[in-house]
Amino acid sequence: MDQMDERAKKEILKHTEDSSNTLQEDIWNHIDQELFQEKKGKKKSKIIPIIIVAAAVVTLLFSTQTDTGMAFIKQIKDLFVPEKQITQSIEGTEEETDVILQEGKNSEYIIYIDEERYKLVQGETFDIITTKEPLEEKYPEVSMKIEQFKDKTSEEMLAMLEVKLPTEYTNVTATETVQDPLEGYKLHGISGSSWDSPVTNVYILDNKNGGSFVITEKYFLEAAEGHGARFYAMLQQFEIIQ
Amino acid sequence: MNEDIFKKIKKGNKEAFRHLYDEYVNYAIRTAKAITRNEELAKDAVQETFIRVYRNISSYNSTLSFGAWFYRILVNECNRLLNKEKKTIPIDPSSVEMLEASKEDATDLYEIIQSMSDLYRIPLLLKYIQGFSEKEVAEILDLNQNTVKSRLFNGRNLLKDQLALIEMGGK
Repeated sequence: MDQMDERAKKEILKHTEDSSNTLQEDIWNHIDQELFQEKKGKKKSKIIPIIIVAAAVVTLLFSTQTDTGMAFIKQIKDLFVPEKQITQSIEGTEEETDVILQEGKNSEYIIYIDEERYKLVQGETFDIITTKEPLEEKYPEVSMKIEQFKDKTSEEMLAMLEVKLPTEYTNVTATETVQDPLEGYKLHGISGSSWDSPVTNVYILDNKNGGSFVITEKYFLEAAEGHGARFYAMLQQFEIIQ
Repeated sequence: MNEDIFKKIKKGNKEAFRHLYDEYVNYAIRTAKAITRNEELAKDAVQETFIRVYRNISSYNSTLSFGAWFYRILVNECNRLLNKEKKTIPIDPSSVEMLEASKEDATDLYEIIQSMSDLYRIPLLLKYIQGFSEKEVAEILDLNQNTVKSRLFNGRNLLKDQLALIEMGGK
């Protein structure tokens, strides 16, 4: 370092001094609250053990059209409030949204859906949440697919998707282990940097029964703080029914 | 930062995380203040960085130095908050505590650096505040090392030229 570098360093350090001396403690208090206090008080398990094994077997044997099947769905639904209000941050603004309880395929999970904007469509092998009103053609796909793989662990799915995703997206970031909105692995891919560049977030979580759930969000860059944030808030309400 | 600390943090040990916090927070605040030029944004960026570090520590891979990994998250967080702030303009100028300096007003090296484009400004800030090497700056900014070398070289030349002008004006 020459004299100019030394002087630059000195001046930067002078300008960025903590004048209040309380900033470090303020920041720590927020972090402590977020990571350690909430954990003690609010953190809840994402797995809801329900000791109605017999009913689960019955559900697998009978379709939801039978009286027994319907009764089981009702039992699950009775465990959760049918409707609630969540606060989500959309484009920097806190927004109160009413969300409605929905159960997924074979009632293996529940999720609360913002039904003003989205609908849950149950398919043969997976469920998909899409916009209630179809988007104009100029917009790339906006959806959130929820699929269970009963015979593949989350690690096996991760290994497969880590190979597959780079074939679909030009930029795939390193796999993360996340706690929010769900506990599991997160893969993120994007192709391009224009407003309509397709973006995906893939969450892989353990179904606690030897298999896994794979949740695939698709939207476009400009919608990251809109649909992206709304999907995130919906996923925070996702619960596996074991 | 030793492996033992990381192991403890992965297990959720608060004391170990506090130890890491104490070691990194001072320069993290300085870096965030310099990049965002705004104390409130800097505070949010540092806070969010530590939260992300804690939550994603299991994905930290030791091929990258922990410092480079940490500062990559911090710089990304500063940029994310700055972009978010831009989207919600107009910003009340009175709320911005450290406004961008213009070349004309620059009276010291800090202000000269702050008047530069981010291309030069951020590598220079990382080099000066934390003493990061070209290789580390390249890792943090996810750039080629030669790109960083050239940006630091050009940035320092700009700094020299502006400094010479100031000194000539003072005489």
